[in-house]
Amino acid sequence: MNVTAATEALVQAVNLSVSYGAKRAVDEVSFTIPKGRVVGLLGHNGAGKTTLMKAMVGLAKTQGQLSVLGLDPVRDRVALLQSACYIPDVAILPRWARVGELITLMSGLHPKFSAERARALLKRTSVGLNDKVKTLSKGMVAQAHLALIAAIDARLMILDEPTLGLDVLSRKSFYEMLIDEWCDGERSVLISTHQIEEIETLLSDVLMLNEGKLVLSLSLEDMDRRFVALSHDAAVADQMAAAHPLLRYRTGPGPGGNAAIFDGEPPADVQALGQRMRPSLVDLFVALTRKPELNRTQF
Amino acid sequence: MHTWDQKQPIYQQLADILLGRLIDGDPPEGEAMPSVRALASRYLINPLTVHRALQALGDNGLLESRRGLGMFVTTGAREKLRAAERERFLKQEWPRLQERLRRLGIGPEHLNWENPQ
Repeated sequence: MNVTAATEALVQAVNLSVSYGAKRAVDEVSFTIPKGRVVGLLGHNGAGKTTLMKAMVGLAKTQGQLSVLGLDPVRDRVALLQSACYIPDVAILPRWARVGELITLMSGLHPKFSAERARALLKRTSVGLNDKVKTLSKGMVAQAHLALIAAIDARLMILDEPTLGLDVLSRKSFYEMLIDEWCDGERSVLISTHQIEEIETLLSDVLMLNEGKLVLSLSLEDMDRRFVALSHDAAVADQMAAAHPLLRYRTGPGPGGNAAIFDGEPPADVQALGQRMRPSLVDLFVALTRKPELNRTQF
Repeated sequence: MHTWDQKQPIYQQLADILLGRLIDGDPPEGEAMPSVRALASRYLINPLTVHRALQALGDNGLLESRRGLGMFVTTGAREKLRAAERERFLKQEWPRLQERLRRLGIGPEHLNWENPQ
């Protein structure tokens, strides 16, 4: 991520660790989140995504340095929560409440919450102010929840698997609202998800965790520059393998459906064996987070 | 959701989509392009990527930015695009098409030049 923007970084972590007993859930990670970014936090289940997000809002005891909006999340938690909003992976809205009542509740609880803005955001959705949460579909609850927290005049939004269990149309509406109503070039959002292919184009940056360690932290623009994917014919598979790609995989049926990802430009003679492709985030994710024993070299 | 191929960068693919629309006169010359945010939420693309796509069209002289108002389609943009597309068709597509027609034994008399069926 951009180092020159570090002065305007919303989040800065240096050698940050979070331990549960003897287990290090987050292990010495360092990264920054500048303003105006859409950052994807990727990792398998148990990689440390939720723990890292909890640490950012002061819900986990940390070692190393962590500054969020210039504050210490544990010590300055109350001040931090005025300018950072968070939907945890276990988020629920009270089932008995009407949406309008939740707006009233939020107005009383949060000094930077705008009831007017919440109502305007809800107009985008099919959720009515008189609807009870228990009558809403899962997709509508997610939208209502997003509307409620996007109505907080904050600078950082943290979403832990916000679209889990939603159908494709609900996920689309969710992200449309996020892009349209939240991303203004100043505010940033950190999203964890397993639907990598779906959000790849939304992201400006990616943080990839594997067993608590940060295996990748860069902008998507830099990703296109740094990693090279080559599609190639099965006939040159051995030569490709000899050039030590990060990963070899199938892109489709037939002998032409082979590809390899390289970290950095492979030699010209290797490049000449295949056709250059855009390295996809999901392929890179597989390449960087596979357990060694799963590392198949033969396809 | 829109699907993107793995052949080209996303901004390039978006630029191509926008080019196709400009050829059809959407939006017409002299009119404003949709805002970065509108395009970002329509195609579910990061605003920075949308900005890059618009910039690429600006570099080709098809769009111009008007201070505080956003990007506008330049005068002559459509004709310029059509000329470039014609050129591309004649140089790249036509030789391949011609070869295929020859192999199939299709002459001008077999082709419907009037209305698309």
